[in-house]
Amino acid sequence: MFERRLYIYIDWALLAAIVLLSVIGLVMIFSATYDPTTDQVGTQFSRQLWALAIGLVALAVCLTIDYRVLADNSLLFYGILIALLTYTLVFGEEVGGAKRWIGLGPVNLQPSEFARIVMALVLATFYAQSQSGLRTVSDWVLGGVFVVLPFVLIAREPDLGTAVTLLPACLAIMVFAGLRLRFLAAIAVAAVLIAPVVWAYGLEDYQRTRIASFVEPEQDPRGAGYQQIQARITVGSGGLTGRGFLQGTQSQYNFLPVAHNDFIFSVLAEEQGFLGVLFTLGLYLFVILRSLDAARVAKDRTGTYLVVGIMAGFAFQAIYNVTMSAGLVPVKGLTLPLISYGGSSIIATLMGFGLILNVRMRRFTN
Amino acid sequence: MQNGFPSVDHRKTRRLLALFQVVIALVFAVLLVTFWNFQVGQHTRFLEMAENNHQRTLALRAPRGVVFDRAGRVLVENRYSLNISLVREQVEDLDRSIRLLALVTGIDEQAVRDVVDRHRTAPAYRPIVIIRDVSLAQVASVTARKLELPGVVVEQIPTRYYPTGTLAAHSFGYVGEITDTQLAETNSEGLRTGTIVGQSGVEQSYNNLLMGADGTRHVVVNSVGREIETIGEAVPVEGQQIQLTLDYDLQKATEDAFALAGYAGAAVVLDPKSGDVLSLVSLPAYNPNAFALGIDHNTWNNLNTNKLNPLQNRALQGRYSPGSTFKLVMAVAALEEGVADPDFKVNCRGGGSFYGRFFRCHTTHGIVAMDEAIEKSCNTYFYTLGSLLDIDQINKWATAFGLGELSGIDLPHEVQGLMPSTAWKQERHGERWYPGETISVSIGQGQVSVTPISLAVMMATAANGGTRVTPRLLKAVNDGSGWIPVPVTPPRSVAGLQPETVDTLHRGLWMVVNREGTGRRGRILGRDVMGKTGTAQVISLRGREAVGETDLDLRDHGWFVFAAPKDDPQIAGVVFAEHAEHGYLAAPVARHVMETYFAKQEGRLLPTLPLPSRPPEIVSVAEVDNP
Repeated sequence: MFERRLYIYIDWALLAAIVLLSVIGLVMIFSATYDPTTDQVGTQFSRQLWALAIGLVALAVCLTIDYRVLADNSLLFYGILIALLTYTLVFGEEVGGAKRWIGLGPVNLQPSEFARIVMALVLATFYAQSQSGLRTVSDWVLGGVFVVLPFVLIAREPDLGTAVTLLPACLAIMVFAGLRLRFLAAIAVAAVLIAPVVWAYGLEDYQRTRIASFVEPEQDPRGAGYQQIQARITVGSGGLTGRGFLQGTQSQYNFLPVAHNDFIFSVLAEEQGFLGVLFTLGLYLFVILRSLDAARVAKDRTGTYLVVGIMAGFAFQAIYNVTMSAGLVPVKGLTLPLISYGGSSIIATLMGFGLILNVRMRRFTN
Repeated sequence: MQNGFPSVDHRKTRRLLALFQVVIALVFAVLLVTFWNFQVGQHTRFLEMAENNHQRTLALRAPRGVVFDRAGRVLVENRYSLNISLVREQVEDLDRSIRLLALVTGIDEQAVRDVVDRHRTAPAYRPIVIIRDVSLAQVASVTARKLELPGVVVEQIPTRYYPTGTLAAHSFGYVGEITDTQLAETNSEGLRTGTIVGQSGVEQSYNNLLMGADGTRHVVVNSVGREIETIGEAVPVEGQQIQLTLDYDLQKATEDAFALAGYAGAAVVLDPKSGDVLSLVSLPAYNPNAFALGIDHNTWNNLNTNKLNPLQNRALQGRYSPGSTFKLVMAVAALEEGVADPDFKVNCRGGGSFYGRFFRCHTTHGIVAMDEAIEKSCNTYFYTLGSLLDIDQINKWATAFGLGELSGIDLPHEVQGLMPSTAWKQERHGERWYPGETISVSIGQGQVSVTPISLAVMMATAANGGTRVTPRLLKAVNDGSGWIPVPVTPPRSVAGLQPETVDTLHRGLWMVVNREGTGRRGRILGRDVMGKTGTAQVISLRGREAVGETDLDLRDHGWFVFAAPKDDPQIAGVVFAEHAEHGYLAAPVARHVMETYFAKQEGRLLPTLPLPSRPPEIVSVAEVDNP
């Protein structure tokens, strides 16, 4: 499984773009956690630096082991994931009313961040195994069951935002595995129909407030709508060329909540301006399109489905977060992959790219 | 190759991938257009919002100018008071904060709520003053619960302070927040809601000098309103200092003497040469300190509904009939119009018949010349002069002495008295003037009404020989570069009186005090005090019968006008004693003022008065604790 000649097939351009985005993330975390009154940077910066280093190692590991070997063991990973999520729900560190982390001494692990990769691996393996392109209803139901279990566990933490990111990955794999778009449309209609029921019974109060405030942010400018308004001001005040590194008043004077996390792209937009936005979004687009190219050239369906699954989740999260940064969608605890602060997030994301590079690299091997 | 692609399947996958890529590229294009719109299209608007977010302009209140008396004694100054204010922007749960704040400071919760409601349209970052002039205990209890009371701040602001309490209250006036009406006026540029301006007295008339210029501080704040740095500061400019013509000792002497006499009333003491106001009293007075912090509802109601009307400046706004003090104008008119000379004599048999009606004198004076007539206040003599003069001649000389005119003093809201004339009667009542009315006027009754200050001007004019000086309170101004004297306000008119007119008048007025007249209580040995008493009828005899039993105080008022010394008058004025019934009861007040004046002039110990036998409750209605 370890063949030296494989390394000439590594997609260095993609890897470079990924590392560049991570560095942009580091710089923005520096700015967002910098305190102008004490002239100090938050501890998040060095933590992220460490996480990035660990993530690159994890990427290398995910790259080295043949994805088919990983696919063969996908149920094992699935078991570990479910175990970790269950553990989190029972013994997790409770922060702000939510149990999302497993305490490991100085660091915390957020298992839900890894769920997306594991799910992509499991579903890719599952749907690739069927010989024919024809699917029975039980295939879709079984695939659905795979998803529902971690979804419910994560949603119960509660962390609906992260749970929802599982869906695009799974749906994308199913569509590529032959799920009819017509069927998806039916699901969408059903979703619209049950939305009021979910609104009434399925949501926590804070979730309802968030959605309501999104519809009319000015109703409650000091409450939930505040973040939306501030996000727009932050982005808009950046102008074409930005206000300069550490010069953004919105981010430096803490007008944005969790600027280093949910609203990191707003900080970038404020300080680096539209040109910075253009450059960064360009990198993201390159990363996504280039990765999907790996799905095209993949040796087998497992590889294609794996790449599509990982990329669907990545693209969904990136687009949602960037849209949120401009105050255009309800604020969800969704990070911007590669740039936002979060150790588990960056490690999981880099592992995902390790798998994508893995698939591309092994496109000629048997 | 168990998981390999069947070729049909492969083509389909590629089509889906291409679709996926196109959709994502389109979404990114839309995102870029959106960011372009926000960052370039609406940049100006959002940049302004960002500036407003983190930059604040805070007002720094300028202390008002200090007011001194003519000798340099501080009359009005400033002190620093502590206010507890609320910055709504930093408050998460306003309702809870209000409840807790009321609890901690021990004030009514609804009152706090009302204050906040009143300012709900003001910017959320501007502190709303909840409690003014708090005690240190209240500050301590708020500071102790700082964490539970975010947005509650203690501010230190300069506040007007009147160290002498009620003394000269009506001259100083008071300050208060600018009213909406005042804001609407055209000359209110640079003033905004909450600005403290003079609302009465010299505080009002010289507000422009005293107010100074509020400063501003431009600060950068973070999202919770904490100040990060100051990026610009305009230091407040203290108001200009002014010096008044008032003499603290004379003012105090006047009020002390009033307190001893136990009357409400008014007094005006002038320098007859310049018109400088040395003392100006209106009683009962209020305590202007009660206004300095924003007057509370109860005190304001009390001041407004009080029957004794402490807010009224009687010296400028009270109109009364002059009574016998008017006789000196009659003497001047007769002498100057040539209808009588000083030796003109009248035989008083207890009154006289004019135009078919009998007019009474208080007693039978026999044959009197003009100076004796003034001394004894003989009505018959002045009825006779009234029958020789016409009303327009009397009007001419009354006006020359300032009666029925505005004195022109530099205080707001002066009220004009009334000196009738044929033209006035025609215009007012559409009737001609009847000569019989002139007889009543000649002893200061009938339609004539005067303010105390106009009688003071009359006495000053009589004392200085015909120059109708303009009373003034502003003596000098210091804008920080040194005292600049304010030139004397030019006299309103100068009557060229014949020397024997002045001579007769002065002799008669001197005799009132120094011979057998009614002003003997004003006499000071060796000072040649001149004076004249008068009684202002509150209601006529016939009116009194018509009213019958009543709660109203219908006792007459007493006047005493005075000047001294006779040969070179340096002080002149009026004392108006409300419901004193007799003018001579007002004379001791004048005497104490003059004694104080001369003692001070010669550097002697100032005269003292015995303490009043009963508490002078009419002296001050709105007494507040001096902080």
